Amino acid sequence: MNQSKAWFSVIGLVAAVVVAACGGSSPQSNNPANETGTLTIWLMNGSAPQAVVDGVNADFKAKYPKVTVNVEIQQWGDIGTKLDTAFAGSTPPDVVELGNTLVAKYAAAGALEDISGKKPSFDNSSTWLQSLTDSCTLTGKLYCVPYYAGSRAIIYRKDYFDAAGVQAPTSIDGLLTVGQKLMAAHSSDPNFSALYFPGKYWYAALPFVWDFGGDIATQSGGKWQGSLNSASSQQGLNTLTNLVGSLSRADKTGDEAKQDQAFAQGHVAMIIANGWEVGVITDKTNGNPSLADKLGAFPIPSHNSGQTAPVFLGGSDFGVAAKSPHASLANAWVQMFTDSKHMAEMATVGGVIPNTTSMLNLGTGINSTFYNAAKNSKFVPNSQNWANVENANVIPDMLVKIFTKQQTVADASNAASTKIATILNGG
Amino acid sequence: MATAIAADIESASGSFSGSRRLSMRLLPYALIGPSVVVIGGILGFPLAMLVWLSLQHYGLRELIAHTGEWVGLQNFQAILADPLFHEVVVRSLLFTSACVSLTIVLSTLIALLLLRVSPVVRGVVMSALVFVWATPVIVTVDIWQWMFDYEFGVINYLLTQLHLGNFIHHNWFDNPVQGLGVIVLVVVWGAIPFVTITIFAGLLQVPSDIVDAAHVDGAGGWQRFWYVTAPTLKPIFLIVTCLSTIWDFGVFNQIYVLLNQRPSSDYFTIAIYSYRESFGVTQYGLGAAIAVVMVLILVVVTLFYVRETVKVAEIA
Repeated sequence: MNQSKAWFSVIGLVAAVVVAACGGSSPQSNNPANETGTLTIWLMNGSAPQAVVDGVNADFKAKYPKVTVNVEIQQWGDIGTKLDTAFAGSTPPDVVELGNTLVAKYAAAGALEDISGKKPSFDNSSTWLQSLTDSCTLTGKLYCVPYYAGSRAIIYRKDYFDAAGVQAPTSIDGLLTVGQKLMAAHSSDPNFSALYFPGKYWYAALPFVWDFGGDIATQSGGKWQGSLNSASSQQGLNTLTNLVGSLSRADKTGDEAKQDQAFAQGHVAMIIANGWEVGVITDKTNGNPSLADKLGAFPIPSHNSGQTAPVFLGGSDFGVAAKSPHASLANAWVQMFTDSKHMAEMATVGGVIPNTTSMLNLGTGINSTFYNAAKNSKFVPNSQNWANVENANVIPDMLVKIFTKQQTVADASNAASTKIATILNGG
Repeated sequence: MATAIAADIESASGSFSGSRRLSMRLLPYALIGPSVVVIGGILGFPLAMLVWLSLQHYGLRELIAHTGEWVGLQNFQAILADPLFHEVVVRSLLFTSACVSLTIVLSTLIALLLLRVSPVVRGVVMSALVFVWATPVIVTVDIWQWMFDYEFGVINYLLTQLHLGNFIHHNWFDNPVQGLGVIVLVVVWGAIPFVTITIFAGLLQVPSDIVDAAHVDGAGGWQRFWYVTAPTLKPIFLIVTCLSTIWDFGVFNQIYVLLNQRPSSDYFTIAIYSYRESFGVTQYGLGAAIAVVMVLILVVVTLFYVRETVKVAEIA
């Protein structure tokens, strides 16, 4: 291709982008049966069971027979990069599932449609979980629809606990004692972990920081100050380091992606996990179904005996791309997925916490532990720059440095606090 | 016969008119023109875009709006003031020199060995080398990752079985020096085939009578290599060293895949750092500035080789 051709194609591309950006309105029609178009939906791996997604799409097809829906499953690992490039392009996916810590970044950058005016059109919007609604709200405007929440607790092997003669602990000290007894009972297994804790698992590390009164960062006078190096945060990190050092043989430089498989293989007594991970562990093809009646759950205990530690409230929201040419159809699809019928399925089939307080009674059996954990939950700093802290791996890096003894808790947490403050304050 | 052809050529060239002479002089430029345009388009344009991007503040908002904010040299000031950047540059240079020197030494040894083995063995080794070279890098790095895996890796198992120590649950990436050692191994392993085959091809061109003469004069194996073979292969060594430097300085896939796409800052080479700043924390201008510095360092480092190569070419 010669240069003038190259220039022509550059000009052509720019023109196409401009035209696509300007001509974004979808044909308005009152009859759903006549609506046409193709919706591209990005869902995250592991969020919704395929049966629920298929059910939503079948219902959508029944109402909008001429609309094609393409659901693409994305991986969490590199989603930030993929979203950046997708939103920068002229044809981003129409609907994206966004981790609740990522919404502020994309809303602030103008990537998501402002749906404040459409809020009443979504089922249960008056009883949405407050923390998810907060994650969707930026400067008073609504940019996404709460999808589901997840909070972590400890999944354990009841048979191992019985064999070692221990009960679910009610304090961090108790957790250490129980873990040590389990380690002793399995001392012949060199792969055994009483509490399997991969080094980069920062979601599971935060409860320990919060439990001692520490935090990631605090805001005063519009400026963020890192606080992972505060005395209380360091106390939490020291406690966790001691637990990990005594009870875990998980990879100190690894992340939690493999923990359910490791648990299913049987060399693990406890993991800190979301409720839906029970399903992964007992999955017929990739897990170990025989564990189904051997699993129990208890909340992450506090250092104050009898209390529980605050947990990170994870979750996902649905955003509609501001550049979507089919915004109304996209919103219709989100309305369908978040309606009462499918939210109830997410709770019962998917094992997650649905987006509305009106369905919190759906958590029964082992799930009730995870539902209850959400009641004592905390969130990451609410800043549009938070996603950059996550993408820069600041907290996982700090944990790895501490667990592998490359740095002391004081040095590693000082470095992380400085870095977090710099990123949150926009540098 | 030969003289007749020579006479024909002479008479043909003697009959050139002035305009044909001019067109003959322009012909080389016309022939090279399309290549220049293509190279300019493929390499020059992105490079110019990169420099342009490095002079702007370009975050996610700018990316979505397709307009940056001009900040002059501010991005360069920011990275030069960043201690992590200095660390990364030093690490990249050390990493590159380790990879390049190991690649060249091992490849030369294998190439020399190939000269002495039977054709069957040579055929087998050559096919193995080509196979390594032909396998996509992501696939090979994935396999290496499994072999070095903390829990299920065959390397830990074998080392323990061979009684070389207790490697059960040995984490190769706990200690960054050891982890980078593993990465050097994987990079060198992937680089050896091309360099070996190139040096082997060069060895075949070394006149055997000169080597034999040196042998008769009493030169030992090392002397024959150092004083006879190596000088003949100098142009080849220069080119493979130059290429290896360029490739190893830009190593990305091996580090990124081996460390599960989340390398900690101890493993940042300049390419990873640039990617992290651009796509991790969405500071595309800053990432571009790092990439520009990377290109400049490479230019300085490779300038030496390019100059030597040109010198050798002039002598030849």
